[in-house]
Amino acid sequence: MRMVNFRAPYNTGRLVILLAVVLLVGFLLLPAQFQGLFQRAGSPVGWVVSWPLRAVAGVSDGIADLWARYVALRTVEAENRELRKELEYLKGQNSQLREAAAATDRLAALLDFKQQIGGTTIAAQVIGRDTGNWYRTIILNKGEADGLRPDMGVVTPAGVVGRIVKTTSATSVVLLVTDPNNAIAGVVQRTRDEGIVEGTSSGSARLKYIPMLSDARPGDRVVTSGLVGGFPKGLAIGTIAAVHKEDEGLFLSAELVPEVDGEHVEEVLVIQSLAVPSEGERLGAPKVKLKS
Amino acid sequence: MNVLVWSALIALMVPLQSVLLPQVKIAGVTPDVALVAACLAGLLGGELHGLVVGLTLGWVMSLFSAMDPVVAMGVKGAVGYAAGFAGRHVVYLSWPMLTVGIFFLSCSAGSATAFLLALNGRQDLWWAIRAVVLPQGVLDALIGGALYWVAWSRFNVERWMTEYRM
Repeated sequence: MRMVNFRAPYNTGRLVILLAVVLLVGFLLLPAQFQGLFQRAGSPVGWVVSWPLRAVAGVSDGIADLWARYVALRTVEAENRELRKELEYLKGQNSQLREAAAATDRLAALLDFKQQIGGTTIAAQVIGRDTGNWYRTIILNKGEADGLRPDMGVVTPAGVVGRIVKTTSATSVVLLVTDPNNAIAGVVQRTRDEGIVEGTSSGSARLKYIPMLSDARPGDRVVTSGLVGGFPKGLAIGTIAAVHKEDEGLFLSAELVPEVDGEHVEEVLVIQSLAVPSEGERLGAPKVKLKS
Repeated sequence: MNVLVWSALIALMVPLQSVLLPQVKIAGVTPDVALVAACLAGLLGGELHGLVVGLTLGWVMSLFSAMDPVVAMGVKGAVGYAAGFAGRHVVYLSWPMLTVGIFFLSCSAGSATAFLLALNGRQDLWWAIRAVVLPQGVLDALIGGALYWVAWSRFNVERWMTEYRM
């Protein structure tokens, strides 16, 4: 039996190369519309090959993405931490600046007020409250060493705060105008009716001993009369909320809403000595400019 | 406890009472930690100890209050002495018992103060008892009871008290 020899009797490699060159030249010489045929014929092959291609590309992209994210996250996390730190710092700084601005406003108002009321005043800070529950007092950071003495009046630009009742060398205790043990001479600003302002158990104040025929009514402001030492004339004490006739009494009394909330006051002025007005100022004479 | 430790405690009690506790008022009332301290001092150290600590605390606290120093010293000294007397006659003191005891002492001291102030016509006695004495008594009792409970559950208080008094 004769065996078929499949082995090529000549150099196959050269033949293949030659064939490829011929085909390529032939392909290049074909019209353009025939070239598209090859493209279309390769489409299914491309579709098949696209699957592993996409899979590998996907994995590769995933790895690249993961890597990029990991690296990016590392930097973003650090950046985030820095930004958070910066935010906290800025928040704190903002809060401090707001507090400083508020304190500046308060102190500027206090300084203006100090110039308005004249006399000798001492600025002080509130550092505490009464150590018991029986009195409404505040503790100031200045005392005898700074020239503060009992019975000196304590005010803010808003009005009367109270009166010093006790001092140590470095601190003073101020009895608030809302304490029942405090009494300040007051006058209804509109009607000029005088009375005594006392605190009440509920934490407000009351103007007592208003004449029976007084026209005082809710909304009227009550100011210091200046008759009793400690406070100059005309400082706001409170606003009348209601007027009552005392039972079987000869006077009216009025509930007051104090101008100053003693529980939240932070800086005050202590009136060390009142300015003594000249005779002309006292009588309200206009000031005359002398011509030179 | 020696004088230095008590002095430091008393010095710390003033800012605690006048600066920190007013921030956490309950029903408009702050607990009187000086009164609680006088009670515990009497209980731990006996009548004399309670009396001295009570008098000192009353005096120091009155420097930062409008309260008359004699009234403050008298009330707190009496509380310290009473706590010492009670403590000496009690064999075993549990924290609930101590809580009730401090409530009773605080209410007695508060009522005495309210009565003394009412004598001047500046306070309504019944208002004071309802609005100040009873709430403060509750707060004082809770604080004293809590402090004693912590000491009771962590340390051998009975042995400590016995050794301390000897």
